[in-house]
Amino acid sequence: MAVTGAALERAAPRRRRRVSGATRLGVALFSPALVYIAALLGLPLVLAFLYSVGDVTVGSVGYEFVGLENFRSVVESPSFRRALVNSFVFTIASQVIVIVCANALALALRERFRGRGLVRFLILLPWVAPISLGAIGWKWILDSIYSVVNWVLAKMHLVNLFDPPMWLGRPALAMASVIAVHSWRMIPFSTVILLAGLTSIPKELPEAAAVDGAGFWRTHFEITLPMMRPIINVAVLFGVVFTFTDMTVVYILTRGGPYDSTQVLPSLAFQTGVLGSDLAEGAAISMFLVPILVAVAALMLRVAHRAEVV
Amino acid sequence: MASDRRRGLTRREILKAAGVGALAAAAGGTPRHVRAQQKTLKIVQWSHFVPGYDKWFDGVFCKQWGAKHGVQVVVDHIAIGEINARAAAEVSAQRGHDLFMFLSPPAAYEKQVIDHTEIYQAVEKKWGKPIDLGHKSTFNPKTKKYFAFSDSYVPDPGNYRQDLWSQVGFPKGPDTWDDLRKGGKAIKDKFGNPVGIGLSQELDTNMAVRAVMWSFGASEQDAEGRVVINSPQTIEALKYMRALYKEAETGEVFTWDPSSNNRGILAGKLSFVANAISVTRTAEKENPEMSKKIQIVPALKGPVRRMAAEHVMDCYAIWRFAENPEGAKQFLVDYIDAFAEAFKASEFYNFPCFPKTVPDLKQQIANDPKGVPPDKYAVLGNVLEWATNVGYPGYATAAVDEAFNTFVLPTMFAKVARDELSPEDSAKAAEKELKRIWDKWKTA
Repeated sequence: MAVTGAALERAAPRRRRRVSGATRLGVALFSPALVYIAALLGLPLVLAFLYSVGDVTVGSVGYEFVGLENFRSVVESPSFRRALVNSFVFTIASQVIVIVCANALALALRERFRGRGLVRFLILLPWVAPISLGAIGWKWILDSIYSVVNWVLAKMHLVNLFDPPMWLGRPALAMASVIAVHSWRMIPFSTVILLAGLTSIPKELPEAAAVDGAGFWRTHFEITLPMMRPIINVAVLFGVVFTFTDMTVVYILTRGGPYDSTQVLPSLAFQTGVLGSDLAEGAAISMFLVPILVAVAALMLRVAHRAEVV
Repeated sequence: MASDRRRGLTRREILKAAGVGALAAAAGGTPRHVRAQQKTLKIVQWSHFVPGYDKWFDGVFCKQWGAKHGVQVVVDHIAIGEINARAAAEVSAQRGHDLFMFLSPPAAYEKQVIDHTEIYQAVEKKWGKPIDLGHKSTFNPKTKKYFAFSDSYVPDPGNYRQDLWSQVGFPKGPDTWDDLRKGGKAIKDKFGNPVGIGLSQELDTNMAVRAVMWSFGASEQDAEGRVVINSPQTIEALKYMRALYKEAETGEVFTWDPSSNNRGILAGKLSFVANAISVTRTAEKENPEMSKKIQIVPALKGPVRRMAAEHVMDCYAIWRFAENPEGAKQFLVDYIDAFAEAFKASEFYNFPCFPKTVPDLKQQIANDPKGVPPDKYAVLGNVLEWATNVGYPGYATAAVDEAFNTFVLPTMFAKVARDELSPEDSAKAAEKELKRIWDKWKTA
């Protein structure tokens, strides 16, 4: 359709119209978030990228562009390759445990029973307490000399007190311990999300299924879980982001040991960049997190959009 | 409307007035001739293992020094594990303390610190040359610059359970690495107490595995700074450690942090650890009976030599961006003048880098009021014959520091002990990793 000159003239004053108060308020309310994201997320990300293609050390005074040299150096390191694999193992294993346990807990906490409030509070504690405190507690629980777990197992004659399992001293056990502690921390978060999803399912649906003769498992797998899929996706995606970028549990429990067998990308980046003084290589290691996190973020947005449409 | 206004100020007017007032106060409300502020000297250092030392340093020395020079001295104490991250943050912000104390040579920060030669020269005039250990830990032979000033170091002897070792034929404890293997195995077989040489990613393991290597004639670099780790001597050292682990240790050595071996021997579990005298000092305070059982031996002798690293190396650095560099320099010079007191306050933990500051050191440690027997610490009298710097026989460079802090050597030893790699393959892998690190720092 051709636009006539008269129509353009009528449109012109509308374009010149002053910005409304509501728009200004909207911009004002939105801008702190924008500044926050730009200053605390955008700027460090740009800085990390610049470091990763430069020759920056903790004590350097200049900056020289070195291209992909740091990435080449990092990829050659066996510690990095191990950390990359470990990051996936750590994330996937802990998320599987978290989602299964959170599902079970959410189902249990949906029911009314005496002391439900207290149980909900106790379950939430690992999430609300600082993770560093929790991890230090677990470090003592799994300690080579004072492990309460080993003491109990020895009292039950399940292990030899003089040769107990070294929870943080064998690569497989250490990885399992790190995954278990991280799962312990993440389960409450996912439980709360799934609980919210469960309570939003209309009661008539499971009741109707029960009338039709469906048992607990059939109702759960064919009605409850499919209806909760969007909210489970949200829980998983948040969990993946939190786990993939976390170094607290690994750093406090094992510091990446024994012999780098529990090293993950964030802990290796910290060890190389800050403790090892090579900021550029530390930044290069952390840049490997970016494509994975971008993919997860895109998925999260897609899931959120779908949930909106639904 | 007009009458409303006359009733008083509106909220908008109050806000306006407050804003104008605040601006006026900020711009010109303060007196133009501000009273000259007292100079400050800001120091950051670790919370010393001996609380009495911090008490003396903060409450006596700094107070007196501040009063004498008209300077307010502020001392911040941080945990040992926070030092590197804190230093990186201060450099990044180009703001922080005037004096920053590291516990290992901070070679990577050379471009961010002043040349400390002037301080060494001032101290040398009065107290003579520093020990080689202090020099090699703070000097860059390429740039001829002192990137830090070292006042003291902490010896790293062996701590053994005399009651156990005397029952397996070593009443004076092990003297060689071979003694440690034989006696350690005998004790473990007879009493169940393992040896406690760590194989983890932590400070004490870093020191212990270097001691093993040097004693067997191996090193990570040569005197000129070339990587020479892949040598027959290193392979022998790796084979020794594997045998020691299998015969005399348990898997707990892979789980340790720096305090684990202290806890292990104090709990009565371990028969031998390589550590500073923090072990025995803690025992004297908390477990006097155990204190009598734990005695000290010098670094163990290997097939080639008797040698161990210092346990920690005190290195003070003055940032280029320090606000009071002159005060910081003077403080360090005066601190060395008072080092005899510092030595006593640290309960013989900190040994002087300028030996003349404590001329009667041997007599003092041979008559320790807390030690049982009183000459318990006398073996440390010849510490300079066997203590050396990280990076020996070369200097403590930035590459050495990165290899140290990324635990390349503990990883090499641990993989062999666990049979994950053969000694030859592990030495080769460590060589590759060290060369990668050395190449990076060549141009830095």
